[in-house]
Amino acid sequence: MTSLTDRYLDATLRSVPTGRREEIATELRASIGDMVDGRIADGIDAATAERDVLTELGNPAQLAARYTDRRLQLIGPEYYLAWQRLLIVLLSTIPAIVGVLMGLLEATVADNAAGAIGEGIVAAFTVAVQIAFWVTLVFAVLERLGTPLNLPEWSVDQLPEHPTERGVTLTDVCASIVFLCLFIAFLPWQHFQSVVGPDGERLPILDPALWTFWLPLLLVVLLASVALEIAKYRARRWTWSLVGGNAVLNLAFAVPAIWLLLDDRLLNPEFVDRFAWLRDGGLDTVARISVVAIVVIILWDIAESVVKARRSAR
Amino acid sequence: MVSDDVLRTHLQELRRGTVVVASLVALRRPDYGYALLQRLTGHGFPVDANTLYPLLRRLEEQGLLTSEWNTEESRPRKFYRTSDSGEQVLRRLLADLAAVQTSLTTLIEGAPR
Repeated sequence: MTSLTDRYLDATLRSVPTGRREEIATELRASIGDMVDGRIADGIDAATAERDVLTELGNPAQLAARYTDRRLQLIGPEYYLAWQRLLIVLLSTIPAIVGVLMGLLEATVADNAAGAIGEGIVAAFTVAVQIAFWVTLVFAVLERLGTPLNLPEWSVDQLPEHPTERGVTLTDVCASIVFLCLFIAFLPWQHFQSVVGPDGERLPILDPALWTFWLPLLLVVLLASVALEIAKYRARRWTWSLVGGNAVLNLAFAVPAIWLLLDDRLLNPEFVDRFAWLRDGGLDTVARISVVAIVVIILWDIAESVVKARRSAR
Repeated sequence: MVSDDVLRTHLQELRRGTVVVASLVALRRPDYGYALLQRLTGHGFPVDANTLYPLLRRLEEQGLLTSEWNTEESRPRKFYRTSDSGEQVLRRLLADLAAVQTSLTTLIEGAPR
């Protein structure tokens, strides 16, 4: 039967490079023997003494790490900030872009509008997990090799210009732009690609007559909103002119949309005819809910921009 | 009242470097791991075995200690001794420790209570 000490030495030396293993083993065995003898001399029986000594030496993996000067951390302070920054930049952009693209592909090429959102979410999630894993793996390897990153030294010039809290974050701007692009893509998509009915017939969701004026207007407003997001990010905060522009764009979108909704002119009449519940009063409900939602979102957005502009003007 | 955890952390921080100094002083007379541990504890430097044994190896790798195996007794023991460069480093460390003590004394005396 192997003794506890043998098993302890075995467990400790497993993660020590072979070249030094034997020497450490001999020394550690002698040290353990000395410590056990010391306790036996104090009147403790041999079995208890051995147990106590090994307990005092602690987890063999930890002891081995101390012998080999190995750090017990995945990513240490030298690499942590670079890792965190890279991860935030990548995770705040790539999964959303891939998710939108995959969702659009599923909706258009694969002709599966219903599964598009699910497909997009799954793709975004998979990409996010992959990014997190590989970035972390690379940094963990760097940590173990001790490779210098050669990043430029931090200097005071990197301090943000406005000491006040930055009202506009990259994440917010990216999310807004992705949403706007999704909306812009939706307008032509619903005209050409949406599928209605069991016979796979294509029917535009919105009234095709609106393409003569209203839908192009909405497209222009949406594109202008993307430009506003970019301008907002470059200005680093909400300025009063941005607040004004945002309000104008919001109204330029909301007023025609609400008017068309209340006038029952937004949806394609043929599309409405396909669905019994839309025909039988459902259309009114949809219009009412949409109007309320648009009003709430617009008011919220304008109020938020005013609050942030006031805060950053201080 | 400060929590025990906070106090323990600060005491640990304060004591950390002194184990190296104490070991380099004690090993002017060659000794093996366990005997050194006993001596240090006896002189008021309580140190964990799992800290001291790896530390001795590290100091040896840095050339501050030399070692020799003694196989005359029943179990072979590795005896460490402070090397010449270890002695040089030790002098610097002791000087610095004294400087810290001096600075602290003048600071305490100069500061209004």
